[in-house]
Amino acid sequence: MSSPEPIIHIEDVHKHFGRVHALRGVSLDVRKGEVVVVIGPSGSGKSTLLRCINRLEEYDAGRIVVDGVALDEAQSINTTRQEIGMVFQSFNLFAHLTAMENLTLAQRVVRKRPKEEARRTALDLLAKVGIPDKASAHPIQLSGGQQQRIAIARALAMNPKIMLFDEPTSALDPEMIKEVLDVMLSLAREGMTMVVVSHEMGFARAAADRMILMDEGEIIEEATPEKLLASTHERTKLFLSKVLHM
Amino acid sequence: MRRIDPWWGLVALVVVLIVVLVTVSADPFRNILLFVRDGIAVTVLITVAAFVLVLVLGLFGGLGRLSRSRFIYTAATFYVEVVRGIPLLVQLIWWYFAFPVVIQQTGRWLGISALENYQANAVFTAILAMTVCYGAYMSEIYRAGIQSIPRGQMEAARSLGMTYFQAMRHVILPQAVRIVLPPVGNEFIALLKDSSLVSVVAVSDLTRRGREFMATHFNPIEVWTMVALLYLVMTLLSGRGVAWLEKRTRFER
Repeated sequence: MSSPEPIIHIEDVHKHFGRVHALRGVSLDVRKGEVVVVIGPSGSGKSTLLRCINRLEEYDAGRIVVDGVALDEAQSINTTRQEIGMVFQSFNLFAHLTAMENLTLAQRVVRKRPKEEARRTALDLLAKVGIPDKASAHPIQLSGGQQQRIAIARALAMNPKIMLFDEPTSALDPEMIKEVLDVMLSLAREGMTMVVVSHEMGFARAAADRMILMDEGEIIEEATPEKLLASTHERTKLFLSKVLHM
Repeated sequence: MRRIDPWWGLVALVVVLIVVLVTVSADPFRNILLFVRDGIAVTVLITVAAFVLVLVLGLFGGLGRLSRSRFIYTAATFYVEVVRGIPLLVQLIWWYFAFPVVIQQTGRWLGISALENYQANAVFTAILAMTVCYGAYMSEIYRAGIQSIPRGQMEAARSLGMTYFQAMRHVILPQAVRIVLPPVGNEFIALLKDSSLVSVVAVSDLTRRGREFMATHFNPIEVWTMVALLYLVMTLLSGRGVAWLEKRTRFER
């Protein structure tokens, strides 16, 4: 099942925030259709790595190639970003727009889709994430779980080839986590390429092809979920003992 | 049931007061009103024209103050710092008396006769001076408004492939405008009142017309009471306008 060309190719990427060396030579390949879950302690660079993939964060050295386009040579990062959906920890729905408008705005402005087509796409996606009846609600009227599902739908509306998830359930009340993970799980089953920063081990076990443990700006270990969760690596064991806390 | 804004009562009170004065005592109140009528038009013209330009200039200034380009940032900051550090009255006088000389000298130096013969148009100069001055204040208001929108809004817009300007136009500014509406309304009212300063540079606005009437009739109490009431009607009406806009643009929270 290995396709020849990775859809995301990360090669020796370095990133500094002032004097902090946030990424210390990270290399990673993600194949088409693969689901990669990234875990690691806070400050380990996992979110930074994710944000480098769509260049929300500029990197200082190294190379990232997404779908055949090298990011630092990309003619327009905006064109590349259309292919990369991103879901944020804090949802970031556009506060002044309804759910429907959140889903149609970029379709209209960026993809230049006609109004009716954008609307239909949005309605389909709202149904897909399980909230077809909230099209006219504003973000503030929705629960966190509903907002996050709409945020996922908003990214999907652009028909991206890759979806990035930056701790998508960390800001949610416990009873809302499942509804978001279910959407992500079905997306994974449909063959979406996904890079997910999350400590939801249940999701990782069920959906991840690979798990990656990062610490202090480096990839410490990379393995299938079964292997990584049973790792004998000292730093992996230490981290897992803190996360799993049982 | 729709609730009527009780502050309309204050507007009505001042209007009634003017009407009573004009009917009960036509001489001098009715005469004053008729005399300063065209001055009101000039005051409104200068205020509205300058304010529209201020809204545009302030947007550029505000975006400039947030620019990552060092040159644009420096230019915008320089403009704001210099302009807000000079009294409006001094600026008005400078634009009216000094600026034309600068243009004429430059014209002479370049040999362009159109510039050499440049004469200041009072109303144009007044609008120019008010715009430049209030544009600096407005820049800071816009900047504050844009900065008050959480970073994640811009990031989400950019992650969908929007350009910086698309994100500004469709995501950031619509939210920022709602936040800055009260201070922007404040600026409009302040601009309306400060437009009375243009009376010193030969613009026949409401204030200057009042002074002209007084110069021939010598009745300061009546003239300046009338002028004050007329300004008050305009500012109170502006206040209601801002309140109405705020209500109309409020989104579900």
